Amino acid sequence: MMVSGKLHTSLNTAHGAIRLPAYVPVTTFGAKYPLDDLVRPYLPRLAQAAMVSFHYARQMTERPALPLFVDSGGFASLFQNATVLMVGGLGVLKTKTEASTETLHPRDVLEFQEKHADVAFSLDFPIPPSMSSHEGRRRLGLTVANARWAIENRRRKDMPIFACVQGWDVDSYAQCVEAYAGLPFDGIAIGGLVPRVHDLANVLRIVKAVRAVVPNKPLHVFGLGKPGIVEVLFKHGVHSVDSSSYVKLAADGRLWGHPTMKLEDASPAERLNLALCNLATAAQRALPLSTSHLLFSSRLWEQ
Amino acid sequence: MPEPLEIELNPAQREIVERGLLTSGFSCVLQMPTGAGKTWLAEQAILATLRNGQRAVYITPLRALANELVEKWRQTFEEFEVGVFTGEYGQRQAYPVPFSRARLLVMTPERLDACTRHWRSHWGWLPDVGLLVVDELHLLGEARRGPRLEGAILRVRRLNPFLQILGLSATLGNRSELADWLAGVHYESDWRAIPVSWRCVRYERAADKPRILREQIERCIAGGGQSLVFVQSRRRAEDLALELAESGLAAGHHHAGLDSEDRRRLEHEYRSGGIRVLVSTGTLEMGLNLPARQVILYDLQSFDGNDFVPLSTNTVWQRAGRAGRRGLDTHGEAVLLAPSWDRSAERYARGRFDRVLSGLSDKHFLAEQVLAEVWSGLARTRSQLKRALQVSLAAHQNRLPSVDRIVDEMVEAGMMVEVNQDGLRNTPVLKETRLGRIAVRQMLTPSTVVSLAKAFGANPERPEPAFTFLDILLVCAQTDDCEPLIPVDFEELEDLGARLVREHSTLLSGAHPVVMERFQTRGRRLLAVIKTALIARQWTRTGDTDPVAKSFGCYAFEVRRLSESFGRLLSAATALAAPSGEKDASDDEYVRALLDEGPPLLERIKALASMIGNGLDEQTVTLTFIPGLGAKLARRLRDAGITDIEELALVESDELAKVRGLSRDRASRWVGEAANLIRRRSALTFREFSTKVQASVSTWPANIDQYRLRRALDLTVRRRSDCYLVSGGLEPHRVRMDSVKLSCDCADFAKGENCKHVLATSLKRRDPVVVSLVERLKTVATSSELDLFQLWFDGGRR
Ligand SMILES: Nc1ncnc2c1ncn2[C@@H]1O[C@H](COP(=O)(O)OP(=O)(O)OP(=O)(O)O)[C@@H](O)[C@H]1O
Ligand SMILES: [Mg+2]
Repeated sequence: MMVSGKLHTSLNTAHGAIRLPAYVPVTTFGAKYPLDDLVRPYLPRLAQAAMVSFHYARQMTERPALPLFVDSGGFASLFQNATVLMVGGLGVLKTKTEASTETLHPRDVLEFQEKHADVAFSLDFPIPPSMSSHEGRRRLGLTVANARWAIENRRRKDMPIFACVQGWDVDSYAQCVEAYAGLPFDGIAIGGLVPRVHDLANVLRIVKAVRAVVPNKPLHVFGLGKPGIVEVLFKHGVHSVDSSSYVKLAADGRLWGHPTMKLEDASPAERLNLALCNLATAAQRALPLSTSHLLFSSRLWEQ
Repeated sequence: MPEPLEIELNPAQREIVERGLLTSGFSCVLQMPTGAGKTWLAEQAILATLRNGQRAVYITPLRALANELVEKWRQTFEEFEVGVFTGEYGQRQAYPVPFSRARLLVMTPERLDACTRHWRSHWGWLPDVGLLVVDELHLLGEARRGPRLEGAILRVRRLNPFLQILGLSATLGNRSELADWLAGVHYESDWRAIPVSWRCVRYERAADKPRILREQIERCIAGGGQSLVFVQSRRRAEDLALELAESGLAAGHHHAGLDSEDRRRLEHEYRSGGIRVLVSTGTLEMGLNLPARQVILYDLQSFDGNDFVPLSTNTVWQRAGRAGRRGLDTHGEAVLLAPSWDRSAERYARGRFDRVLSGLSDKHFLAEQVLAEVWSGLARTRSQLKRALQVSLAAHQNRLPSVDRIVDEMVEAGMMVEVNQDGLRNTPVLKETRLGRIAVRQMLTPSTVVSLAKAFGANPERPEPAFTFLDILLVCAQTDDCEPLIPVDFEELEDLGARLVREHSTLLSGAHPVVMERFQTRGRRLLAVIKTALIARQWTRTGDTDPVAKSFGCYAFEVRRLSESFGRLLSAATALAAPSGEKDASDDEYVRALLDEGPPLLERIKALASMIGNGLDEQTVTLTFIPGLGAKLARRLRDAGITDIEELALVESDELAKVRGLSRDRASRWVGEAANLIRRRSALTFREFSTKVQASVSTWPANIDQYRLRRALDLTVRRRSDCYLVSGGLEPHRVRMDSVKLSCDCADFAKGENCKHVLATSLKRRDPVVVSLVERLKTVATSSELDLFQLWFDGGRR
């Protein structure tokens, strides 16, 4: 399938092959995070692919010059004003705003992805730790239904589709991924781990359980890209993670891997430089040439 | 494509390629002699970058060179678009290839400075740049241009930390220090395609120089060579070339005053051997590609606008490096003409290049960059500024002035304000003021804007100063940003005085001391300011650079550059003279405001800006009162005989429609509008009727020549065992003492005069007669008018 050569060493897309494992930086469009606009032109130099969430991808004006992961927007089901409905056996997300109600059908997601994405993720619904078990079970079922629908209805063969896995404990995650066994997915993506990351051992047990069910496909983990965790996940057989940690740290004047150091009142260019350093570190690339003073000048940093 | 295999690499090129210095990913400083093939190396680095999908920027200090390179590179790099971005384009003329499309961008340091100040509008391409080639890297050490290059480099590296810099130069005294600053590698080679031998030829008396020159040249030509002679002034280039030609040599002269056609023809004749000797000024020394077997440095000093100073080692090498023609000569020779008693000339041959020192150590230029940082949003607090400048070359060399003090001074001067902003933990934020914005937009130093604001700023508390056009130009010419300032020769003073008498000026009228109070500049610099303003004024009258340049003894390109430079200064002046907070008045209001009284200062400045920008006089400029009639068309109308708005009102619209680019419709509309307008407003609106300048020469008893004595005050006299060495003039001279009398080896003395060298020596010997005359000299200057000679003798520095 999409995994070529030696098992899981790369993922082929319409915009080039992605060597695995890969740290996939998140970027956004629109006015909300101006630092992203500064960083984006540099992503191709430091990363093999970028992750854009469905919500921001719809505001995309100019496509960055590297493979794009586009998620499903199912994350919004965690918001107060959102409900997950079952329509025709599929999970549909309904979001109410003051002015209107918006529905997101698996079809909307897939159509958009087939236009803009290089790697797509099925419409899934995270199950936060506080959720009732009844609602959790319902969401899990709809997540599975949506993933199956996506793989049955795909038209673009050059766009890998990852089936999303949700759950509330090791068993439920394993049960979810078992539902995909034998189906022609190009990879598996584990969601819902962000609110569970405080218990890293548990996270790793979930990863291991999923891995055991689908040992031969690329495995992605959503949103876990903080310093220290990435390496551990890769070591446990995860092939890619997406994260905005590199840029969040930079916006805060911080450097990857140096939690105590902080550049007070960092200027836009300094935040750009920090973000690039952070991304280079996360992606294990060489640092940009003229950032060394940022890293090595102790005068800059307030400890 | 310049593939490595297409030419036989020279040893230095081969080593650089083999070591992978160009593609190491690190910045790199390459120092190789003139003509050693640095351009080819740059091309390799550029090509690698372009093929890698990135863009490359090439910085060159000379516009002429930029155009030449682009012409060549359009072919060399055919699959990639090459854009040229210099001052010629952008404002009035669109760029041949826009920024967005250009893969290779060739520009001047000033353009890169501007792009990084406006970085947000250049964000579409700046991040794609992989390579920045800085040719003639030693430019960093030049006053004015150096700091702008450094500021641009500082910003571009922060905006694009991936960018690799390739610095090229033949003459760096501190290559490794510069490489260190760029966190890069460096390489030096003194390999030359053709070895050069250095010789110092001695002369006893300056009068012998032409003969010695001829001998040297004849010897070289007899052996089949060609000779390139560098001299200190354009006049000397022309005179010497003539003299050599009269003595039967095929000689020509080359200087920056030649237009590109003449220049090309001359270069062609020289290359084809029709001309054997070329006498040249140093103006084109960078990038002038006219090698000769023999290079002669006829003068080892040059006039820096104030004084004669010894040539720098760098300059001598830039020139001497032209010796040896590839394929024609097996060796080259550099000949230095030096006085027999001056041993210091030997040092040149040793080639200890001058250390390139950051120009940001000058507070004025640092202030400009600080303001640019604040305005561009790249540094908004004191600590951000300090961090940004901490990586400057100036800081690297421990020469960075206190940033805090500069900020204080600029806040004081009203260029910036420091405000507290919530959320930023009480860190005050710097913001440029309207004044500061004007400085950044027009790329002027803050001190310039402060002095323009003082002269032109709208101020309801005081009556508007009655400035004539010349006065406005004088104020502008006095600033740091008027470029180039055209120096005055002693011999020109009479002519300058005669010109001034025909001019209108409030600033220059009155008794000498009164006039002096109006200027911050003194002495010869003030003379240069006056001359420069006169040149600009003359340009508005003729609209033709050549005759103006000719009558003032400067270059046409200098007149063009002055028109640009005054253009920027006048744009700033216009903004400053406009009442703050108000938008530009609409055309209607503009006309109404001008009805009765003489045009107010703002309108005069605006009119002058249009005059300077387009070479229009004060009558033709009235044509531009018609809404929609721009300077370009005004000029066309003038050329068609319609010289002002009254003429326009009288012309038949059929007649007018014959002017190129004018529809019948517009023509008749304009005639109507003109007729309407002249009822209220005359074509003489900007005619000047105010005070004429009274400038002259003070008188002096005739027994000892006053001017020679005054000039003697400028000279430096050093005692030797058998004579006195007198330097500081056009040539150094030797004064000897026989039993009672001083004698000098100069031509003036030979004519029987008490030359300035003898007078200077007498003064050094405290001769009581001469000393008392000097005392008298100092008290004479109380004439009732501006005394140009007095200015000259007030001496050099400002
Ligand atoms: N390997 C080579 N073999 C033959 N000719 C060469 C070689 N390399 C360069 N040249 C030629 O030598 C001339 C001078 O080269 P170039 O202009 O690059 O000098 P440069 O090092 O930039 O000198 P400068 O200090 O004057 O700028 C050019 O005409 C170029 O084509
Ligand atoms: Mg060169």
